[in-house]
Amino acid sequence: MTIAPSPAPHKMSARDVSVFYGAKQAVNNVSIDVDMDKVTAFIGPSGCGKSTFLRTLNRMNDTIATARVSGQIMLDGEDIYSQDMDVVQLRARVGMVFQKPNPFPKSIFENVAYGPRIHGLAGSKTDLEGIVERSLKRAGLWEEVKDRLSDSGTALSGGQQQRLCIARAIAVDPEVILMDEPASALDPIATAKIEELIHELRGRYAIVIVTHNMQQAARVSQRTAFFHLGQLVEYGETDNIFTAPREERTKDYITGRYG
Amino acid sequence: MNKPVAHAAERRPTDWKSPAMQKRIRRRYAAERRFRVLGASAVILSATFLAFLLFTMVAQGWRGFTVTELALPIDLKADGLKVERGQLATPAADLALAGAGLEDVVQNAAVRAFGPEGGDYLAPSAWVTVREAIKRDPAMLEQRTVLHVPAATGIDQALAGNGDAATDAAVARLQKQGAIRRGFNWTFLHESDSTDPVAVGIWGALKGSLLTMAITFLIAFPVGVLSAIYLEEYAPKNRWTDLIEVSINNLAAVPSIIFGLLGLAVFLGTWEIGGRVYGPMLPRSAALVGGVTLALMIMPVIVIASRNAIKGVPPSIRDAALGIGASPIQVVFHHVLPLAMPGILTGTIIGMARALGETAPLLLIGMRAFIVTPPQGITDPATVLPVQIFLWSDEVSRGFVEKTSAAILVLLAVLLAMNGLAIYLRNKFETRW
Repeated sequence: MTIAPSPAPHKMSARDVSVFYGAKQAVNNVSIDVDMDKVTAFIGPSGCGKSTFLRTLNRMNDTIATARVSGQIMLDGEDIYSQDMDVVQLRARVGMVFQKPNPFPKSIFENVAYGPRIHGLAGSKTDLEGIVERSLKRAGLWEEVKDRLSDSGTALSGGQQQRLCIARAIAVDPEVILMDEPASALDPIATAKIEELIHELRGRYAIVIVTHNMQQAARVSQRTAFFHLGQLVEYGETDNIFTAPREERTKDYITGRYG
Repeated sequence: MNKPVAHAAERRPTDWKSPAMQKRIRRRYAAERRFRVLGASAVILSATFLAFLLFTMVAQGWRGFTVTELALPIDLKADGLKVERGQLATPAADLALAGAGLEDVVQNAAVRAFGPEGGDYLAPSAWVTVREAIKRDPAMLEQRTVLHVPAATGIDQALAGNGDAATDAAVARLQKQGAIRRGFNWTFLHESDSTDPVAVGIWGALKGSLLTMAITFLIAFPVGVLSAIYLEEYAPKNRWTDLIEVSINNLAAVPSIIFGLLGLAVFLGTWEIGGRVYGPMLPRSAALVGGVTLALMIMPVIVIASRNAIKGVPPSIRDAALGIGASPIQVVFHHVLPLAMPGILTGTIIGMARALGETAPLLLIGMRAFIVTPPQGITDPATVLPVQIFLWSDEVSRGFVEKTSAAILVLLAVLLAMNGLAIYLRNKFETRW
């Protein structure tokens, strides 16, 4: 795994992470580093453990009773699975965008304002309105919805809903954003908008994106990790992975031998 | 290639016009028609039953809301009623009027107005009507007035065609005098039980029902909903929670009389422990014990309905809330519960409607007592609408038949109001996706 040594310490680093669902091992000894200002893409065939591993990064696997995680995951040098880590705060710092757009059945404003409100991030009503506007602008949705903030978030189109979910995630000011196949339920135009948005967000957050679509990984990411059968097969600069993969399995996958 | 090559294995193209196909189409259409006719007849049959029930109840019940009154000329001064005006404003007024022989005065007035049997034409409670009139208008003490007082059950029933020869004759005479009139029975709406069907009212039982329902709701709703939330969102899935689930499902199917026995044994029972007698925990015959017993009965219904409603909330909403750092309790109260509310309310109303119509368990805990004053609170002896209907349907006097139907109409009206409220609340909480 050759990653050019970065001057700053890694934003998140996983060491020997394994995930078990009951007796079944879904992720096997994965070690990986995630850095600020970079988009890291996880690719691999269905069931390779990439989504499962993604969900360990903000402990969403905690909600599955049978899931068990071993190994170590650090966020800014802090072990996120330690007793001292508050999982609620962790999930605010490591936000998540899901495969299917899942806005709350509330107004657009409420969707974005919910996070800042429960974490007490806004001092006043105008402050909150500012956060909502800024988040929607960053998510590239402001121009489309500024006149109908009180409409239901579920009345938007699929692509708009997904950008609303991104706005909702960035409203709590996260450091890392995890995206679990964020465009797989969208049409090509909406997908292009999401990809563009990921480009723009890159400078502010460490972004990890799981995708099925190799072209998407090539387009949006700087680093790519290839997962297969629960193992991290290869991790490196996206350009290298797609042009000169070192592992045979990576090459087979990228050239479409299996998918 | 002018000669088509025939392959033995190749199937001939399907002939969609063949007689067999036509027959199949006809059969399919016939099946559709048959099913539609069956469905429509099922609906018509149930609508007919409902219409029949409502028609019978209204036909018999409307008379329960009316009263037959006699115009009774009365001159209290001439009849020698000795009561000072000053006494009328005091709480002792009732006693003073009774002591001065008002009842006899009224009887005499009736004899004078309607003949030697005139006293029997009046309801036993007629003098109470006169008493209340005097208290309202003390001037009556000095002048001759004509008051409308309730007629005896016999007169009332003779008007409905249920009289014997003597009463029919009396009614004919009274009608010739122009002394009979029929009016709306306000007494029925604000009085309670009585031995005389003319004097009975539904208010006591209605108030008892409302108090009992309030207790039932206040206990069953929060406990049921919180249990459902805990079981769905927090409890680990293991053998113990499976056992609890099976038990709750079984409890929902337990006959209501068993709950009555449970209430009797637990809330009204006494225990002798170490020479001291403990209990009963709650007062007999009261709305409190009735409400608690019914709450136990409908709690499983609420738990099951609430669990299903909570299960129906899409998991993606929980993920979304957890993903931006909502705590489990915030997920439940900000997202899951509001979305599950329509289902929870529907289940609660079904349970409450069942509790409102319940008779058997309440008989066992003493709510079948003869209660002549409406309960002032949840610890006063009370009865409820269905029990009142049961008690009246058991009465011998014909006058109670129409009162029973009238009480059924009141019960149905309360049920309708409750269902209306449920529909309103459900629409209010309904989320448009």
